[in-house]
Amino acid sequence: MRDYPLENRGAFPPHVAAGAGASISLAPVKGGFVIHLLGDAKSDEAALKKALAKIAPELGADVRKSAPNQWFWVGDADVSSDRLTEIQAGLPSQFALADQTHGRVRMRLSGPSSRTVLAKGTMVDLSADLFAIGQSAMTQIGHIGAMITRIEDDSFELIVLRSFAGSLWDELNHMAAEFR
Amino acid sequence: MTSFRIDGGTLIDRNDVRRFTFNGEVLTGFGGDTVASSLLANGKQLVGRSFKYHRPRGILTAGAAEPNALLTIGRDGRRDPNTRATMAELFDGLEARSQNCWPNVNFDIGAANGLLGPLLGAGFYYKTFMWPAAFWEKVYEPLIRKAAGLGRASYDPDPGYYEKCWAHCDLLVIGAGPAGLAAALTAGRAGVRVIIADEGVQLGGGLIAEGSPVGGKPADAVLADIIGELHALSNVEIKKRTTVFAAYDDQVFGAVERVQKHLPEGEINPHRAMERLWRIVARQVVLATGAEERPIVFGGNDRPGVMMAGAMRTYLNAYGVAPGKRVALFANNSQAYQTALDLEVRGIEVAAIIDPRTCPNIDYDGKARLIAGAMVRDTAGRKAIKSITVRHDDGRDEVIAVDALGVSGGYSPIVHLACHRGGKPVWSDAHVGFMPPENTDGMTPCGAVAGKAGIADCFADGGVAAVKALAELGVMGEAASLPGVEQTAETVDHIQPVWHVASTKGKAFVDFQNDVAASDITLAMREGYDHVELAKRYTTNGMATDQGKTSNVNAIGILAENKGVSPGEIGTTTFRPFYTPVSFGALVGASKGMDFQPVRKSPLHGWAGRNGAKFVETGLWYRSSWFPKDGETFWRDSVDREVNTVRTKVGICDVSTLGKIEIFGADAAEFLNRVYCNAFLKLPVGKARYGIMLREDGFVYDDGTTSCLGGNHYFMTTTTALAAGVLTHLEFCAQVLWPELDVRLASATDQWAQMAIAGPRSREVLSKIIDDDISNEAFPFLAAREVSMFGGRLKGRLFRISFSGELAYEIAVPAGYGESVADAVMAAGEEFGITPYGTETLGVMRIEKGHVTHAEINGTVTPADLGMGRMVSAKKDDFIGRVMNLREGLVDPDRPALVGIKPKSPSDKFATGSHILNPGEDVSLANDQGYVTSMCHSPTLGHAIGLALVKNGPKRHGEEVVIWNGLAGTTVTGILCNPAFVDPENEKLHA
Amino acid sequence: MSSLVKCPHCGLRPREEFTIRGEVATPRPDAGADEALWFDHVYLRDNPRGEHREYWHHSGGCRRWLVLTRNTLTHETSDVVDASTLKLGERA
Repeated sequence: MRDYPLENRGAFPPHVAAGAGASISLAPVKGGFVIHLLGDAKSDEAALKKALAKIAPELGADVRKSAPNQWFWVGDADVSSDRLTEIQAGLPSQFALADQTHGRVRMRLSGPSSRTVLAKGTMVDLSADLFAIGQSAMTQIGHIGAMITRIEDDSFELIVLRSFAGSLWDELNHMAAEFR
Repeated sequence: MTSFRIDGGTLIDRNDVRRFTFNGEVLTGFGGDTVASSLLANGKQLVGRSFKYHRPRGILTAGAAEPNALLTIGRDGRRDPNTRATMAELFDGLEARSQNCWPNVNFDIGAANGLLGPLLGAGFYYKTFMWPAAFWEKVYEPLIRKAAGLGRASYDPDPGYYEKCWAHCDLLVIGAGPAGLAAALTAGRAGVRVIIADEGVQLGGGLIAEGSPVGGKPADAVLADIIGELHALSNVEIKKRTTVFAAYDDQVFGAVERVQKHLPEGEINPHRAMERLWRIVARQVVLATGAEERPIVFGGNDRPGVMMAGAMRTYLNAYGVAPGKRVALFANNSQAYQTALDLEVRGIEVAAIIDPRTCPNIDYDGKARLIAGAMVRDTAGRKAIKSITVRHDDGRDEVIAVDALGVSGGYSPIVHLACHRGGKPVWSDAHVGFMPPENTDGMTPCGAVAGKAGIADCFADGGVAAVKALAELGVMGEAASLPGVEQTAETVDHIQPVWHVASTKGKAFVDFQNDVAASDITLAMREGYDHVELAKRYTTNGMATDQGKTSNVNAIGILAENKGVSPGEIGTTTFRPFYTPVSFGALVGASKGMDFQPVRKSPLHGWAGRNGAKFVETGLWYRSSWFPKDGETFWRDSVDREVNTVRTKVGICDVSTLGKIEIFGADAAEFLNRVYCNAFLKLPVGKARYGIMLREDGFVYDDGTTSCLGGNHYFMTTTTALAAGVLTHLEFCAQVLWPELDVRLASATDQWAQMAIAGPRSREVLSKIIDDDISNEAFPFLAAREVSMFGGRLKGRLFRISFSGELAYEIAVPAGYGESVADAVMAAGEEFGITPYGTETLGVMRIEKGHVTHAEINGTVTPADLGMGRMVSAKKDDFIGRVMNLREGLVDPDRPALVGIKPKSPSDKFATGSHILNPGEDVSLANDQGYVTSMCHSPTLGHAIGLALVKNGPKRHGEEVVIWNGLAGTTVTGILCNPAFVDPENEKLHA
Repeated sequence: MSSLVKCPHCGLRPREEFTIRGEVATPRPDAGADEALWFDHVYLRDNPRGEHREYWHHSGGCRRWLVLTRNTLTHETSDVVDASTLKLGERA
């Protein structure tokens, strides 16, 4: 049993493929990591980024604020649990980390219609001049909680709880269908 | 059939001929027509029957306020009842039907109600259906229900897609008539984000129907220029076919956009919404909703062919439809004279203009005969108007033959949206109307809603309003102006209020939709219902789909006149959303069918499915409930086998849905010690502990285990049902009660696939995949720590805890690996006869073991009631619920407490919810000893067992009781017992 | 349909993102405090016509507990602060 084949399955059934159209595309982001960083009341983002750059420069410092003193650290590399243990050990004591790589699912909605599609779910005003590239918001898309991050001009990354990912995926596809 | 279609019509396209049916008859109209305009063009003046008296009714208006022409449009799932013909766009193949008539609109049996008119007056229901009370349910209500209501909803599901959206802007302009257009231009040029919404198919409002040139240019050319500029401004968003129906708190406006309702079936894009519900967040608002022309209340004013004067002008100029061949006007204001001029320009005879004003300062140079100081007191004609009776100022009557009558009783500003947040409109004698409240924070009324009249004045006012709104936004703006139009001094129209023609002959209607006549209002007053809100409900004036758009002010005027006070003293009824009816489809949006609510799926969902699980919805989760094998046809077959297999061999169950919370921080232990009633301060690393959380009122809130995984790092599990609630509660404790503690919470429910491996062979199974030593010595009961699996290829968290009462473990692995690990456990367990089991078996085994769940933790129990009183720490200074848990009533030894229960005769069954009585006492709740909280068939014992909360229960083991099912009316003899039916000494747990 | 709350951490958000707990009760008494104080804290709530201080949880956003000062008559929200400030002051 020690060699039993192990497969890391995504939250989506295998038949789910990226849905693309002229002005919209929705695609799962496969692999990578999502790490929840929880600071104490005195923690700040600058110190966190500095620490991360020192401990794990290879993983980047894409930290997205989710709440006061809390961030999601996101990247495309795969991180082993041993590496995570090292990172936790190296972090200043005011930061704790909880691996959410399996608990959260990332997907990207891109294209000129992406804002129109997201406006069917969230009240957050995502217009280009108010919601800058790199900016994040914890919000609800319909009934489902999600973190929205603007990645590029017309491209948004959504982070959602794994158990809700299928529903959010379906809903986004419905909302985007008119642009296909 | 005579066609009333004439030349002109700015909205219609004569090359686009559209066929439709009206009550089965095939008719044609043009692209751009409404159903109303095409019916009128086809000479169909009679379109429906009235609600109460089934009187013939025609089309009164050309817009949103239409009270009469309500049709059922479409068929099957796409059937929309109560659709205003004046708002429904004509499309090829449209099917329209009259409502409220049988067998048809021309011959309607219900019209006999008209003969009963004297009996159906105000308060009819309240007076008639008084007694006997027993008749209400069986006789009156079914009768009333059958007779009441307008159109009938379809029973078929609507195949259309609907959705809800958010929109944001600096300035929302509501209404795109001259005032709204000027406001949008002004703000658009200033560069702010503008949304301009209008319920019409085209922008323009009053400009669309304007027959005269504006600033020397044709009105439609002026309009085209404005629209062109608005389209060119990228910061201006134009929403046509969009009714802003409500003003909500915090500058959120509700609007509904009719996206595809105007398209024939074949052209509907199934992926696009039929209607879109907008929630528009606006920093500032310009209200340019215009004014509603009022009818005049006179005898026979509801006869088909009687129409608002302004509506006549719209049909004439926008749709190229003549309202008749020989038309009269009855108006108390000068604006209405434009209709006479436009009719004459088109060569339609204007038989007379009847103006009640004695010395009208009218600048009228048309051909029509002007009868001043006169009133229309009656009309004649069976299903359409044939003549009017005019009462001259000298008391003489004159009958004038006409086939249409235009009416104008003044203009009521459309103030609804200015009043939705509680503002009261203000009466103006000068305008003879209710004006918007003076203090409309963040909203600037302009144009006709602010009492302005005429294109030029309204346009100018819109520009001024936008400049004011821009100033609130901190932006300078310059009011847009109409080229070639000189701003003149404000013209004042001397309107003479006519609330009710005193010399009326016959029924004079105030509210056409509800068949409320002037006599009903005076009757209500005589009977004491003279407050405007009471009069509304007593007479039904202003109720139903049009909410009194054409009737309220006249009703108020009649009340005022009869009381001898100003209409301002009477006041209005309350304005509430929605301004016009909004379909349920739009309100529901996409949340229907499978999209009604999100579905949560466990990371082991696929594994369970492959193993044949039957799923059950618990909250949003789909959980595997049992796993039938070949030959098992009844759920109990599967559950009995699963239980027996787990008790004798081994089983695996998905428990991923349990709430999981990672707890960090220097004060994490102290925090846990305060939120649990039992001690947690000294929980060692590598250990799990069962904990009970109380509510502050001393009752049990939830239970679960918390493990210490490292210094300042804990892992809590909660019940599935309260996963969200417990996290929220902990956040409240951490943020509000004790923010000085360093404690940080992360929801980890979705990170882990967690499975229970239970049964005497569970250790052997797990030993095959876990690298660490998990012998009883190395990994005793309540051990909890990270383990290496599959030769170091995976790390998981292993907990030696048991809900089933067997030797058991829970193993948590990163969710993505869940299915592989579950498959591996199944493979490792094959030699031991492993079975997957679901929530049903989980439930049976926990009842057999006497473990509680939310069936017992039902908000009325203390730890002592559950037999866990000793867990409540007496040493801790403080924890949630400590003080209240010690209240007198909560420590009473007679309280219902947990006990097992079984039937005296093993073949007897009983139901959850049954009450417990002492033998020999009357079967009555007065003798209640408690109730059964959970029950099941125990495959281990071979008979029914249950848990119950019974007075002083723990001291009554062995006692015979009566189990009473009050619903079924049955009783069974039962015996109270130890709730731990299986392994009361916990030998299995520690094996 | 909706109303908006200005979360001090997330900005303007719709009411649907929040869970309302009810009036801000009296502070949680010490364990040894008089029983009357405990009953006030656990059970007594005002139902004023006018200004009302309420606990709102931004459950669909940052998951912070907030204290709203809201007028029950006009629905106007005059103040929103993080609930930890009740005990810690403005630092939080």
